[in-house]
Amino acid sequence: MDYTISTIAWIVLFPFFAFVINAFLARKATKIAVIISCGAIALSSVWALRIFKDFIFGNYASDFYIRKVFTWFDLNGAGLSFNVNMGIYIDNMTAIMLLMVTVVATLIHIFSTYYMKDDMNYGRDGRFFVYMSLFTSAMLGLVLSDNLLSVFIFWELMGFCSYSLIGHYYEKDGAGNANIKAFMTTRVGDVFFLLGILAIWTNIGSVGFVEMYAAIADGVFTDPANNVFGISLAAFAGMSIFMGTIGKSAQFPLQVWLPDAMYGPTPCSALIHAATMVAAGVYLSLRIFPLLDVAGLTPLVAWIGGITAFGAATIALVQTDFKAVLAYSTISQLGYMVLGVGVGSYNAAFMHLITHAIFKACLFLSAGSVIHSLHDHHTHEHVQEMPRMGGLRHKMKFTWFAMWCCTLAIAGIPFFSGFVSKDRILGDALIQALHNKVYIVPAILGFAGALLTAFYMCRMMFLTFHGEPRDKELYEHIPEEKFSWNRNLPLLILAVFTLGVWFSGSLTGQKLVKVASPEGKLEWFSTLVVKPDVNKFKTYTSEKWGNTDTRVKGIEKSHYDPKHGMTNEEEIHHVHQVHVIGAIASIFIAFAGVFIAYMMYIRKSWNPGWWVSTFSGWYRALQNKYYMDDLYIKGVIQKGLLPLNRFLAWIDMGLYDRYIVDGWAGVSKVFYTFSKWFDDLWVDTVMVDGTGASVRLFNVVLRTLQSGKIQFYFIMIIVVLAGYILAL
Amino acid sequence: MVSLPSFLFVSFILFLAGIVVMIARKNVIAILLGIELILNAAALNFVAYTRFINNNLEGHIIALFIIVIAAAEAAVGLAIVIRFYQIRESIHIDDATQLQS
Repeated sequence: MDYTISTIAWIVLFPFFAFVINAFLARKATKIAVIISCGAIALSSVWALRIFKDFIFGNYASDFYIRKVFTWFDLNGAGLSFNVNMGIYIDNMTAIMLLMVTVVATLIHIFSTYYMKDDMNYGRDGRFFVYMSLFTSAMLGLVLSDNLLSVFIFWELMGFCSYSLIGHYYEKDGAGNANIKAFMTTRVGDVFFLLGILAIWTNIGSVGFVEMYAAIADGVFTDPANNVFGISLAAFAGMSIFMGTIGKSAQFPLQVWLPDAMYGPTPCSALIHAATMVAAGVYLSLRIFPLLDVAGLTPLVAWIGGITAFGAATIALVQTDFKAVLAYSTISQLGYMVLGVGVGSYNAAFMHLITHAIFKACLFLSAGSVIHSLHDHHTHEHVQEMPRMGGLRHKMKFTWFAMWCCTLAIAGIPFFSGFVSKDRILGDALIQALHNKVYIVPAILGFAGALLTAFYMCRMMFLTFHGEPRDKELYEHIPEEKFSWNRNLPLLILAVFTLGVWFSGSLTGQKLVKVASPEGKLEWFSTLVVKPDVNKFKTYTSEKWGNTDTRVKGIEKSHYDPKHGMTNEEEIHHVHQVHVIGAIASIFIAFAGVFIAYMMYIRKSWNPGWWVSTFSGWYRALQNKYYMDDLYIKGVIQKGLLPLNRFLAWIDMGLYDRYIVDGWAGVSKVFYTFSKWFDDLWVDTVMVDGTGASVRLFNVVLRTLQSGKIQFYFIMIIVVLAGYILAL
Repeated sequence: MVSLPSFLFVSFILFLAGIVVMIARKNVIAILLGIELILNAAALNFVAYTRFINNNLEGHIIALFIIVIAAAEAAVGLAIVIRFYQIRESIHIDDATQLQS
């Protein structure tokens, strides 16, 4: 495949054109619009598969990348250089990400044709699919972007689409608030993101990733001359951009929007909270990882990740809404990814992003499959409350099976993908904690969160699918699940990819470090995704639009360093030991979580009510999401923002409007009076009327002279002649 | 010997008489006569100046021209007077009001 912008851009343009066409078509021919949407994303996934094949099965080195740019606009002149390049940047990470996004999105689109079919003709006349197409295309654009500015553009596009999709059932109470909340909360992070972009732009004159890496290697970011507000440029820009991640990926201070986003239809939850939007934040923080690293922000990132992972997991313990559990588990898992970024396990964080996208998409689609079947015949609404479920495995076997695969994956049971990725993050956290005291708390939070994850996911499964049906009438009305291509097939395909073997190349995923050598081809993920080495980007010269593919195959062997940059054999042994300990600990923790859930909800030997009554204060805190919503709404917004708004409104209305705008009226009035007087007296009376008066005066004189008496004229002639003569 | 000032004096008297007639009389024919008087005063001046200063015949020729023009002018003027009389049945100058807007 020839790698130019015009060939690669199709991967973004297929869904985008589907969006444009469907925007006009959806109302008239909804079915065709749905087919176009699904077809476009399927085509994109074919494109992505080609790129994936080229990159992963080609013999390219791990640090190989393709970048094609064109000048978007160019405002050079008068000594100023201001040109904006746009382009594509593909490396192994992009290739994997593209395949993940397109395939998961395709499966979600297919599932949506089942889920949204009864919902007012495919989701309000196919409008749902219109937004889904735009959403997917924005995500693909973001993944392909070669610079922070176009990342930001697609980032905002996704923000808009998530707004539209979350508010899809706008007639429901809360959906309107939820989408505004999601939009505004992420906006807080986006403002900082834009600030970071500007900081980078002013200092290195470009926002491309490649230029940014080169500048890091040159020490521009750590140069004290470039300090912003007294802190180094790297810390300022890194923290600002990471704030974007905090907003978009629902990290600790700004996580409040994600649970409310569950008001959207379930397939869109699957798309937003698994494969695309929240993944974009983590993807961005991986892209700026060298920046975070050089700024020394990684402990902070690890802390935020750890707090999010643990805090969200605890809230998930007490949720009774089916989707709310999944929402909090999403926040928690995103916390793990950020923790992975923070402890420097670049590869594992990215792997967790991919594995999480797959199993979480499957979980959400399964939840959709369950919710769609549970129809309350009294209120005519779908049932999401777990206390009314139970025993559903007899009615829907395929969903039950797929969901168990994903639950085991997210819980971190061996042989499943979640174990492979999460365990590596935790192992690296453990190593960092042993070397640096700062990382101890995030590591402990990570392990504790792993226990809770296993527990609450199994609790959800037990409450939903096992035991006796608690709402008999509801249970009776559930139709028996029959295999259908658009309901069960996507679930089962995704369930297959929850196996760890796809990612680790070995069943356990915990092969000894030495096996993961360049010869260990099966460890493709670890081998092909490595931290970018910023020194390699120093000699970069940009390749312009339309140049042909100048890659040379097999030029370098993989740069994967199985020794983690350590030369001391003893230290390598130590790292290996810690990894093994971490793996054993996480296996134990996962099984402990499953066991506790089993004892509580299947055997019922342990009473969950005892915990609720003993720790009632904590229980209430968890049910109120640690009062963070209250803090934001009552504290920050009502006490801080609204008074500020009122103050600004007062400045606007009370000062500016009253004194400057209305005061201007007084000034105008004075001028008006003066100019009216001038106009009336001088212009009108003296000049205009004066002209008339003078004309009338001359008229009188001339009329008297021109009497028509010819002899009078003679007299005049004589008088004039006499006058002449006298004058001479 | 009659000198030049005597001629000029006569001419002046004639001219003055012509002007007075032209302004004072209301009869159109009298006004025409006044004009004749003024023309004759002018012709007398020409003849007197050419006799006493140039001593040639140029002034006489111009005097002859003036007599011819005066005859032609008198013919046209009398024709207008006749036409005017036919319309107004009067030759009083103040009755000629048609050109007054």
